[in-house]
Amino acid sequence: MTRTEANPTHAADAAASMAAARRKKNLLSWGLTLLIFVVALIFVSPIWFSLISALKTNGEIMRDPTAMPSSLYFGNFVTLWNKTRFPAAVLNSLFLTIVSEALIIFVVPMAAYAIERRGTRLTNVVYAYFIAGMMIPFQAYMIPLFKELKMFGIFGTYAGPIAIYIAGSVAFGTLLFTSFIKGIPREIEESASIDGCNQFSIFWRIVFPLLTPCTASMVILNGLGIWNDFLMPMLVLPSGRAKTINVEIYSFVGEMSSRWDIVFAGVICGIIPVLILFVALQKYFVKGITAGAAKG
Amino acid sequence: MFKKGMKRENVLLLFILPAFVFYTLFVIAPAASSIWLGFTSWDGITSASMKFIGLDNYRNIFTSARFYSAAKNTLIIAASFTLLVNVVALTLAIVVDNIRVGKNIVRSAFYIPVLISGIIAGFIWTIMYNTSFGIINGLLASLHLEALQQDFLGRMPNALMSIIVVLIWQISGYYMVIYLAALQGIPQELNEAAAIDGASHWQRFRNITVPLLAGAFTVNLTLALITGLKVFDQIAIMTDGGPGFATETITYMVYKVGFGEMRQGLGTALAMTLFVIIMILGVAQTTILRKREVQL
Repeated sequence: MTRTEANPTHAADAAASMAAARRKKNLLSWGLTLLIFVVALIFVSPIWFSLISALKTNGEIMRDPTAMPSSLYFGNFVTLWNKTRFPAAVLNSLFLTIVSEALIIFVVPMAAYAIERRGTRLTNVVYAYFIAGMMIPFQAYMIPLFKELKMFGIFGTYAGPIAIYIAGSVAFGTLLFTSFIKGIPREIEESASIDGCNQFSIFWRIVFPLLTPCTASMVILNGLGIWNDFLMPMLVLPSGRAKTINVEIYSFVGEMSSRWDIVFAGVICGIIPVLILFVALQKYFVKGITAGAAKG
Repeated sequence: MFKKGMKRENVLLLFILPAFVFYTLFVIAPAASSIWLGFTSWDGITSASMKFIGLDNYRNIFTSARFYSAAKNTLIIAASFTLLVNVVALTLAIVVDNIRVGKNIVRSAFYIPVLISGIIAGFIWTIMYNTSFGIINGLLASLHLEALQQDFLGRMPNALMSIIVVLIWQISGYYMVIYLAALQGIPQELNEAAAIDGASHWQRFRNITVPLLAGAFTVNLTLALITGLKVFDQIAIMTDGGPGFATETITYMVYKVGFGEMRQGLGTALAMTLFVIIMILGVAQTTILRKREVQL
C-alpha cells in the first residue's frame, strides 16, 4: 500500500489491473451462479414431475410424461381418498411419528441430563453402552425383534413400532443431548435446588426449556426418519390393513401396476407435509444435521 | 444433608431408567440373541425348528454364489456411492458458498430430495426410467440420441448404476449441508492472508480449505459408507433385487431369506456377517481419516 502511494503511475496501473481482475472474477461468479441454478432445477425436476403427474390422468402420463396437465384435475386424489385405504395409512404415519417423537422427547433428554450431570463411573459406563448402539444396524437385530414382539404380545400393535423407535433413538439422542447439556451452566439448577425444587421439576421447568434448539433438531431429524421409514412398519404392523404411507405406496406398485396416476397422488400426499415443515423450520434442519455431524 | 444428597443421586438414576429399559429390550437384547439365532435352523414360526446347527449357516453363506453376488453388489454400491456422493456434495457446497445471490434457495433445492423417503424416490425414478413412457428415454429421443436409450432397470449392469444414480440424487444435499457448514467455519483471515502472500486459488484450496475440511471429510465419508452398505428401500421398490438376484445386496438378502423364504436362522447369520463387515470397514475408514485431520 505505502509503495503504491509513493508512486502515482504504479498506483493507477495497479488499480486498473485490479479492476480488470475483479471484472473477470465477477463474470465467473455470475456464470457459476447461473450454472448452479440450472443444476438446482434439474435436482428438483423429479419432484416437479411427480406433482404434474399427480394432476394428470393415467392416459396423459403415458402419452406425454413431460407435458403440463391439460386442466387442474384432482380425480386421482379423490379416488385415492375414497377408494383406497390410503387415508388410514396417512393417519397411521401421523400417529406413529407424533406419539414416538413425544415419548422420545420424554425419555431421551432426561437420561442424557442425568448422565451428564452425575458424571460418575456408572453413568460413564451407561453412556458408552448407549453410544455403542450407533454401530448396530437395524438389520442386525431385526429378525429376533419379531420373536420378541410376539413374546411380549405387542406384535401387530402400534406399541411395537413405537417401542422400537424409542429404543432406536437412544444412541444418537444421548450423544446429541449430553454434548448440548455440557454447555449449560449448573448454577441455575443449584439455586433452584436451594429454593426447594425437586430434581424432576428442576429438569422439566428449568433445564428442558433451555434445550429447545437441540430438541427441535432432534424432533425434526428423527421425526423425518420415522415418517420416511419403510421396512420396520411393513414387517411389524398387522397385515390386511393399512400400514403407513410408504408401505401403501410400495404395495400400490404391486397391486395397481398400471394406475400410476393414483400412486403419484399418494407420493404427493407423502411429500407435502414434510415440505411444509421444511419451509417453516428450515434453520433447525440445517442445525440438526451439522450438530449431529459434528458430534458423530 | 448427606441423606438428601443420596436421594438426589438416586433420582438422577431413575431419569436414566426408561431409556435404559427401552434400549436394552429393543436393541441390545435382540442384537445379542442374533448371535445365538445365527447358529440355529430356525424358520421363524415353529419353535421345534430352532435347533443348534453350529456353523452350518455360515458354511452355507460362504459357499453360496448368491451371497458373493450380494456382497459384490453391496461393495460396489457402497464404494461408488461414498465416492460419488462426496464429490457431488463437495462440488455443490463450494459453488453454493461462492455464489452471489440465492444461496439459501439453491441450498434448499438441493436439500429437498433428502426430505423424501427412499420408497418415494425409488418410485419416481422407476417411472422416469420406464422403457415405454419414461422421461429419460423420452428426452433422449427428443434430442435425437436414440442410440443412448437404455433398459435402465431390466438388465445388468444398468440396474445397479441406475440405483446408484437415485441414491446420489437423493442424498447429496445432506452431505452438501455438512460441507457448507465446514466451509463457512473457515476463518476468512486465513484465505486473505494467504492471498496477500501471493497464494493462487488452487494453492489456497489445497493448503487451507482441504486440511480444514478434514473433519467434514471424516464425518461424510463414514456416514456415506454406512448408508451405502445398508441401502434397502430403493432396491425394494425399483428392482426387488432383480433381474434374478442381480441387484440383491446383503441387507436385501437378509430380508428375502428371513421373511420371504422363512429361513430366519440363516437370515440372522447373514445379518451378523453384514454387521461384522460394517464394523470392520467403518472402524478402518475412521481410523485412517482421523489421522489426517487438522485441528484449528
